[in-house]
Amino acid sequence: MTTLSYSVAIILMTMGLWAMLSKKNLIKKLMGLAIFQTGIILFFISMGAKEGATIPILDHHGYGGIYSDDYANPLTQILMLTAIVVGVATLGLGLALARKIYAHYGSFNEDDILANLREPNE
Amino acid sequence: MLIAIEVGLLILVPCVAFVALWLRDLMSAVIVLGAYSFLMCLVWTGMGAVDVAFTEAAVGAGVSTVFFIAVLFNTTRNITFNPLDVSSKLVALVACLGFGYVLLQGVSDLPDWGDPYSPVNAGVSTYYIENAYADTHVPNLVTTVLADYRSVDTMLETTVVLIALLGIFMILKKDRPAQSDSSDTQAHDSLIIRLSARFIAPFIQLFGLYVVAHGHHSPGGGFQGGVILGTGLILMAMSMGMASAKRLLSIPRMIILAAVGVLIYAGWGAVPLVYNGYFLDYSVWESVFGSMARSHSMLIVEIGVALTVMCGMYGIYMSLVSDGGMQEGL
Repeated sequence: MTTLSYSVAIILMTMGLWAMLSKKNLIKKLMGLAIFQTGIILFFISMGAKEGATIPILDHHGYGGIYSDDYANPLTQILMLTAIVVGVATLGLGLALARKIYAHYGSFNEDDILANLREPNE
Repeated sequence: MLIAIEVGLLILVPCVAFVALWLRDLMSAVIVLGAYSFLMCLVWTGMGAVDVAFTEAAVGAGVSTVFFIAVLFNTTRNITFNPLDVSSKLVALVACLGFGYVLLQGVSDLPDWGDPYSPVNAGVSTYYIENAYADTHVPNLVTTVLADYRSVDTMLETTVVLIALLGIFMILKKDRPAQSDSSDTQAHDSLIIRLSARFIAPFIQLFGLYVVAHGHHSPGGGFQGGVILGTGLILMAMSMGMASAKRLLSIPRMIILAAVGVLIYAGWGAVPLVYNGYFLDYSVWESVFGSMARSHSMLIVEIGVALTVMCGMYGIYMSLVSDGGMQEGL
């Protein structure tokens, strides 16, 4: 458990990068982007986790003392929370670009698009 | 026992991600990606990040799947696969394996998982946990940090959603919308879907409002609530036709509301400047709200966030599904 979550985060990031580099389909590339993003988020969340701690919502309005060891780190969580929402907005932008490319070239495939770019009168 | 579940989930997650990337049918790949997001939510819940898991459930598993499907429905779900093209894949594979290897070498230097005294968990986050309730009277620490301590950050993230919405409009905009005076009824209209959607939609909206308003005491807040409110509108657009969704919230009004959300946020934060405070320093509002000033101010900026995110999700869906024409959707 000590290093497993970090390793999984790195595996996910590698997988996402591989999809973005080697997949020819634009939608698959965007899926790789989403997977890369969740890998980073997993890394941040496992950094902020604490053994035996509860969720970062105070029990009984903090009655009986508040100890920082009892609550998971809220800072890493809010950074990632906003990152998810911005991630979906940028994903929408990427999908809009892919849609526009499909309307022009009739394909999501990179090779077809490149072939069309070279011979526009085909 | 709990640890064993976590380990199982962590091993399952990369497998599901691989399946999503491996499948040759795009529609199935998108559905598997949604399942992957749900598994990721469980992992994060196990690590105590309930707010993040909630957002991922609403956004990653919900709305982004809908966005993918909205694009695929009107284009193609087939992948043309070229097995002879090995060289570029090999280069990419070597580059990625090198990248992964270098990063994995660094893992042993990282602090142990769950160490409460690691550098990440010391310092400012300790201050947030121990003083947030005394400062703001809000038990949900994530909301406190999101809407008060790191408010400028959140404001600009909200602005990014607005900019992305405007960007999508500009990319997909049609100069002259295709002339169509077809009525609401669609060819594949289904009575069951229409009735059940009409029944579910008010509850979705009510739950969204609850999530926005109750974000101070439970997981939730402007982002999650906004996404849920947006999905309510998307459901109406899917089941009742786009014209009926546009009657609920027309496109020009949606753009204005998205901008108003950011304006509420920035405007509420700018008022303290007049009273010799800092930007987004809500303690100035104490003359109006008393000691609950920062708590109530957080609710108001969360409403601004929810407005922008709701209109953002709705607008992105409407543009993607109709290819910018805003005339007919799924």
